[in-house]
Amino acid sequence: MKEEMEQDWLDKKLQEAVPYIEDDGFTARVLQHLPAPQVRWQFLRPLILVAASALASALTYVLSDGGRFIIVEMFRVATIPTVWIVAFALASGMLVMAGGIVAAMSKTSQIQP
Amino acid sequence: MELTDAGLVARVLVDEDQHAYGELVRRHQSSVRGLLRQLTRGDIALADDLAQDAFVRAYKNIRSFRGEAKFSTWLYRIAYNCFRQDARRRKELVGINEEQWQTEQDSQTVDPGLRHDLMHALSLLPLPERSAVLLCCQNGLSHDEAARVLDIPLGTVKTNVLRGREKLKKTLAAWVQ
Repeated sequence: MKEEMEQDWLDKKLQEAVPYIEDDGFTARVLQHLPAPQVRWQFLRPLILVAASALASALTYVLSDGGRFIIVEMFRVATIPTVWIVAFALASGMLVMAGGIVAAMSKTSQIQP
Repeated sequence: MELTDAGLVARVLVDEDQHAYGELVRRHQSSVRGLLRQLTRGDIALADDLAQDAFVRAYKNIRSFRGEAKFSTWLYRIAYNCFRQDARRRKELVGINEEQWQTEQDSQTVDPGLRHDLMHALSLLPLPERSAVLLCCQNGLSHDEAARVLDIPLGTVKTNVLRGREKLKKTLAAWVQ
């Protein structure tokens, strides 16, 4: 009992012996010494994707004799049974959802400290 | 609403937000600088240099912080490593600057004579015991957390804390009574 009291007394005095140290510009000095943030190029991603898509579309249009194949393929799609179209839509939806879940999970594990 | 340490770390990770890191430094600077001042036996300039180095290192390696321990425990570990590397480089532990040490202390809460004796008694402890006592008794870390910071087995931490406490009690016997 006495030993426990002595221990508590010692811990208390040890904690009291170190007062709060004022910042006094310490944080500012640390921030000055941090490496500069990397230039972020993420904003370029959508631009590159849009430009690449536009270029690909233009090339396709020119190389396919004015896009006549589009009309042909439209007729072909129109003759596909409805069940197949519904199944295709469902499968695509599931695929996109799975991709979204995987992306969200990987992002969460990245930011979870 | 004030962000938690984990929230601020997430901001630093995702956006490299240096303002968020500044807030983390502001929150923990006192305890880290206090610990280093004690480890360096009161060499304030050296302790602050080491603390600055520790915070810069922590920022550079923040991706290695996995949240298994508290952010403060992770910081203490980096600070302790900075101290050890510096001590190894100097090949001697820094001397006691008692006069400067005393002027920095707040004399409101503890008897100045007791504080002097306490600090002196602490500075006389061998480094392993001093570090363990400082982390567990002064900074309130659990034995397990201290073992992580010091990178030594849990049993060794317990032994060092026990021995350190005993020596302090012996040295401060007149005050304890």
